[in-house]
Order: sequence, then C-alpha cells, then structure tokens
Amino acid sequence: MKKARREEEAIGALKGEVERGKGIDIGTVFIKCAQKEGDEIGFRSQRNAFFEVEHTDFTKKILDNSKVKYIVKEDKLYVVGDEALQFANMFNKETRRPLSRGVISPTEKEALPMVELLIKSVVGEPTYKGEIVYFSIPGEPLDADFNIIYHIKMLEGFLKTLGYTPKSINEGHAIILSELAEEDFTGIGLSFGGGMVNVCLSFMSVPVFKFSVTKAGDWIDQQVAMAVDETASRVSAIKESSLDLSKEEGLSKIESALSIYYNHLIEYVIENIKQEFSKARRLPRITKTISIILSGGTSLPKGFSHRFKQILDQLKLPVPVGPVRMASQPLRSVAKGALVAASADESKK
Amino acid sequence: MLSGTEADIINSVARSRMVTKDQIRRQVGFSLDYIGFLCRDLVRRGYLDFSNGHYFLAKKGIKTLLAEETPKVDRELLKEIAGEVAKEIGGELKKAVKGIKIPVKEIRKRKDLREKAGQEAVKIKTDFEFPVEDETLALESNINKIGTKLEKEKLNIDKSVELFKKFKQRGKG
Repeated sequence: MKKARREEEAIGALKGEVERGKGIDIGTVFIKCAQKEGDEIGFRSQRNAFFEVEHTDFTKKILDNSKVKYIVKEDKLYVVGDEALQFANMFNKETRRPLSRGVISPTEKEALPMVELLIKSVVGEPTYKGEIVYFSIPGEPLDADFNIIYHIKMLEGFLKTLGYTPKSINEGHAIILSELAEEDFTGIGLSFGGGMVNVCLSFMSVPVFKFSVTKAGDWIDQQVAMAVDETASRVSAIKESSLDLSKEEGLSKIESALSIYYNHLIEYVIENIKQEFSKARRLPRITKTISIILSGGTSLPKGFSHRFKQILDQLKLPVPVGPVRMASQPLRSVAKGALVAASADESKK
Repeated sequence: MLSGTEADIINSVARSRMVTKDQIRRQVGFSLDYIGFLCRDLVRRGYLDFSNGHYFLAKKGIKTLLAEETPKVDRELLKEIAGEVAKEIGGELKKAVKGIKIPVKEIRKRKDLREKAGQEAVKIKTDFEFPVEDETLALESNINKIGTKLEKEKLNIDKSVELFKKFKQRGKG
C-alpha cells in the first residue's frame, strides 16, 4: 500500500498532477493532510483516537477482515481511528487520545508513537527530500498553565525524520489563509476544535494577536456527561451526528445540556477576544469591517453560526464586525490554509 | 501619511533612539509578527532605518516628527523628555522647555537603562533541533494496508497562494 501510494505520487508528479508542498492539521480529534493534485485538493484524514481491545490472533483476524485499523504495541492491541469511537461506545467506555487540549498528551503513555503513526499515515513520504510541510499548532493558551514548545519541537523533529522541511502555522492563521483571500487576509479566524478554541486576528495576512483557550468540544462533552450521567464518548457521538442548535423545543436531556454548554463556550470565547483587544492597547486602523470565520468540528452542529452571531450581538467587539460565516469546509480549512502557506514557499524555491 | 499604529512606532523609536522589534512591541502592543511587518514597511518607505537588529529614525521619520505632520506624534513624550531635561539642569530652564524637541542623550540613556532593567525578558534565540526517532517502525499495524480516508475537493488555491506570496514579499521590504 505504501509502495503503491509512493508510485501513485511519483506518476502524479511526472504528469504534473501532484504538486509540491503539504499542509497538515494536527488537531486533538482529527489529523488531516492536504495536498494539491491537479485542479483538486486531496485530503487524507484519521481520527486521532484509539481504544484497547483484547489481544488475540482471532481478534486481529476479525479486525483485518472487517478493515478495522489497529496497532499492536508490545502485547497490546489498539483499534485506531473512527472505529475506536464505535468500539468505545459499544463497551460504554472512553476512547484514548494521543493529543489532549491541543498538544501531545502528557498523561497518555502511548501518545508519541500513536500520533507519529497517524501523522505518517496521512502525510506519506515526501515527493522529494526536503519538501515543505506546514503543520498547524495551537496558540499559547490563555487559561492553562502549559506552553506549546515541547509539542512543536516533537512534531517538527518527527516530520524532519520523515524527510520533510517542517514549518509551523497557527491554527487560526491557517483558517484566514484558507478563507479570507477576498478580504486581503484581514479578519478573525476561529477554530472550534476538540481540545481548544484557537483565535487569530490577522491584518493583511500578518497575525496581530493569536491565542487559544482550553475550553472546547471535549470540555462540552465532559460537562454534559457529568450533568446527565452519560459517557463523554456517547455525548460526543450525539453532538457530531444529530445536534441542532437552532431547535428550541422537544430537546432531549443531552441536547438541552449541549445547548447550554455551547452557549457558555461561545460567550467564553468572545469575552476572551474582547480581553485580547483591550490588552493590545491600540488597535490597527482597519477602515473596513472585520470578517469572522468559524471553523472546526465543534462548529459543525446546525445553527452554530446563528447562535454565535446572537451572542456576539449582545457582547459586541471593540471593532466593527462585518460578515460572520462558517468556513466553506469547516473540517478542512486548517489543512487547506497550511497548504496555501506550503505552496507559496514551494513556488518561491 | 502615517496610520495611528505607524505613528506610535515612530514615537517609540524616537523615544529610545535605537530599538529592537521586541522593544517596540512592548511599547506599542500587538504581536511581534505584526510589528515586524509594519517596521519593514516603514523602512521601505524611508521613515526608519535598520541595522544590527535595531531600528532607528531615518530622515523622513525625523522630518515627520519635527514637522508635526502626523497628529498622532507624541507631543506628551516630547514634553516629558523636555521636563526631565529641565529637572536635570535646574529650575532656570523650566520656562523655556516647551520648544525643546530633541531629547538629551544622557536622559535617553538613563531611560533606556530603566526600561531595559524593568521590561527586558530573556529571549530564546537558538533554534534547538531535536532529533525525534521514528517510533512507528517498531509497531505492527494494518493502517497502510487499509489506507487512509481520501476525499477530494475541486478547489483552486492559486489565487490565495499568489496573494499570500505578494504580502510576504511586501512584508520583507
């Protein structure tokens, strides 16, 4: 398969189809790689989760036959990717995650090999030695006592080992490169992810401020799970499959709790943006209104952007706000923005 | 004509004579990237000069500062510096300081030292390259056999790439 992929890329490169440069979104929930292939962009993705199952030859055979992805490490067998979530729900347990709150999990002992394998499976081998790859990183968290240096250095080192020239890009900034070309890359990019919400205010493609907060999708799942006595995995499954934030009546207990915590999260993020504006003391003189782009898996439920606008209207930012809209593909915009940066660097070579 | 933030930068450079991007950022606010972007643009337009990691006023910058072309130029700062000069050399000059626009070197040096002692944080300048082993080589997995989920989208990012390149080049001056 690996060989086939390499051949496919080599033939593509000869035909002028696969272009140089890749963008990877390394998120708490998904890892996604974008690569230009002719007039299309190919997105390869993996869910960033795993679940331990009993290690027997029989289990492995069943998993192989059902095309369920697994990893064997020492004497342990782990189901990885989307199926890990299904297994966790089946056993009424939680999945394990290599990343927590946007960075390599300090408490998960299998974090590093697991995240390396998942990254390797989506990014593949470089088209040529030293190919530029931009990988997304979170902003410094405002509400947690950790920094992101270890996370960046480990990912950078690993991508180098694979033969790439790695460069990092802030997640919110990547959204701006992906979605705001028409506005000269000026606006606010918001990525509502699983472990973090990332925010970046950019002026003419240059980040003015960027930060993250560690309340995000996982926080909603945990709070709701505690409130209604469910597992976070089950709450997450409902949130991802059927939550409608525009619905006001006939909500189940879980949906009601989700709606409450979504409101809380949005308000929390907007208040933090307001604080960053006030910390900046002086604002750039932007004559036009600022567009806001909403993105990320936690922004996917129906009615999210409407809820965001409602709360923003009440709280107000200290700058004139223009359109508030969802990214064209909320799960792909970070990888796409990273690809824009990688392609720009590659074409300068 | 300078924008408000650009005038703030000119004031900040005037205040300290020679300053790093980081020192300007501390005084003006915003991210280092954004301040760098504006400074490079001011160098390109002839307001600032740049040497050995420090920005200082170029002819056009000094002219702007003296000619009062920019409403945002910090008159308060000029008054403050003038006030300090007055204190330094005694009460006699107190009445005449209103017109003084060029700060005295000694005052500035002392001000620089005060600022450095109080505000300068340690900046990590080295880029430590940490070799990370490929731990996946020791793992058994069927991921490559099954493959990853591939979705394709018809998208043209060429315009975005070109525009981003243009902005990056402009920023570099």
